[in-house]
Amino acid sequence: MKKRLPLIIVLVLGIFAVIAFVVPHPVVQSIDETVRNDVIRIITAFSLVLGIGSIIRHHIIKVQRKAEHWPFSWVTLIALAVSAVIGLFGGIDPSVRSLLPTSIGGFSFHMQTLYENMIIPLGATMFSLLAFFMASAAYRAFRARNFEATLLLVAAFVLMLGAVPLGRMLVKPLPEFAEWILSVPNTAAKRGINFGIGLGIFATSLKILLGIERGWLGGGGS
Amino acid sequence: MKFWDRLLAIDRRWIYIVIWLVVMLPLLFPFKIRPIAMPPVIRLFNYIDTMPEDKALLISIDYTPDTEPELHPMAYALLRHAFANRTKVGVLCVNSVMSLGLGENAVRVVAEEFNSHATTNADSIIYGRDVVFWGWSTPFVTVLLGMGEKITNVFPVDYYGAATESLPITPYIKNYDDAGILVTIAASSVPQSWITYAQVQFGLPIGCGITAVSAADYYVYLNSGQFTGMLAGMKGAAEYEELVEQKLMREDKDWGLRRKATEAMSSQTAAHIAIMLFIIIGNVAFFATRRRKS
Repeated sequence: MKKRLPLIIVLVLGIFAVIAFVVPHPVVQSIDETVRNDVIRIITAFSLVLGIGSIIRHHIIKVQRKAEHWPFSWVTLIALAVSAVIGLFGGIDPSVRSLLPTSIGGFSFHMQTLYENMIIPLGATMFSLLAFFMASAAYRAFRARNFEATLLLVAAFVLMLGAVPLGRMLVKPLPEFAEWILSVPNTAAKRGINFGIGLGIFATSLKILLGIERGWLGGGGS
Repeated sequence: MKFWDRLLAIDRRWIYIVIWLVVMLPLLFPFKIRPIAMPPVIRLFNYIDTMPEDKALLISIDYTPDTEPELHPMAYALLRHAFANRTKVGVLCVNSVMSLGLGENAVRVVAEEFNSHATTNADSIIYGRDVVFWGWSTPFVTVLLGMGEKITNVFPVDYYGAATESLPITPYIKNYDDAGILVTIAASSVPQSWITYAQVQFGLPIGCGITAVSAADYYVYLNSGQFTGMLAGMKGAAEYEELVEQKLMREDKDWGLRRKATEAMSSQTAAHIAIMLFIIIGNVAFFATRRRKS
């Protein structure tokens, strides 16, 4: 029953979702609306509780066992607690009065202030590190070893130059040529790939609905 | 060790230093580059510019702080364009709760830009009358489909906790029928979901702003007409900024607004040239050593 019940729920709801998509009958649409707007949202709310519980448990265990990089678990737990307290009882932004005082003199630690001054710079910094790795990888790995690699190299050059205004200064029609590469050869290849992905999604969805693919239940596909 | 061998085995930290310099120096000493808009950008601009007065612009902030430098200027430029046209704007987040602060920032900053030059109440951008920030809701399929029926069902309160039914803007943006277009700004596959759920089922025109690295994935939808227009990467943002500035200048609104994407173009140009030089040097060294060995 532990395995059969989830399979029955998936089969019934999956088939209903397909029916609701093609049958415009008011009863079907009304049930579909209730499932989408109420049932799914309630289930999602539970997943939030599960997610927070899971991350707290995971990091507390790491701290207790002094696992590798355990001090960073403290950072996660403290950041979680502080942002939760400020978010729940403090202010969203300095213009809105809140339950807890979230500024000392001119120093504000409202959610938006923290977001703009900590989360945005930290996030952007992490992502910008990619530029350094990309440059290093381009130097070491981007080689014109054969015809295909040379073709890739030439296309990359055109696109890189086409993506900056300097390209037009050097060769006037270069941005248009870069646009053509993206619009024609790239689109042709992408369409083929997308058709394949679409058919794959369709087949996998059917297998899940019919209970043939059971990997999502855990414990492999058996 | 020969010169070419040494060049091939160069310490990667030298490459990091060069990249750091070519990114930093043009930011400190920018060289002026005037972007020329490409057709996908022009199409989006013209569509928004000629939308009927009773149609609203919806902007979905579907990116997170990691791609803020590349995508946030798009949100600014779109809001400036809409406010200049006095188009009603609804802003939302569907992809991640991490996008909320970016949406709040864009709405507040651009409204302040316009309000600092407003002389009357009618000129001003009033929150709740001209623009609304609905915030974030989940799961996103529920949001995308639910908004086609009634937006206040999906967002009973806005980001600040005000009941959306009580906002003066709500009668003008009830569902997708009242929207001229939705522009999704994203660094993920969310724009495809907007097509699947909002366009296919409700006929909502969709535009998108995406990172340069994911642009190749979206030309398929642009060519098929499913995207009305597209802003690809920092260059797309800079081109849209240029079109908006030209429009503001035509309307005697030469306010000298900061154009972050255009400012960053000099840095991006230098970085692209540096990477191309690295590739050329790497290949020359590779072939020189290969010839010697053979």
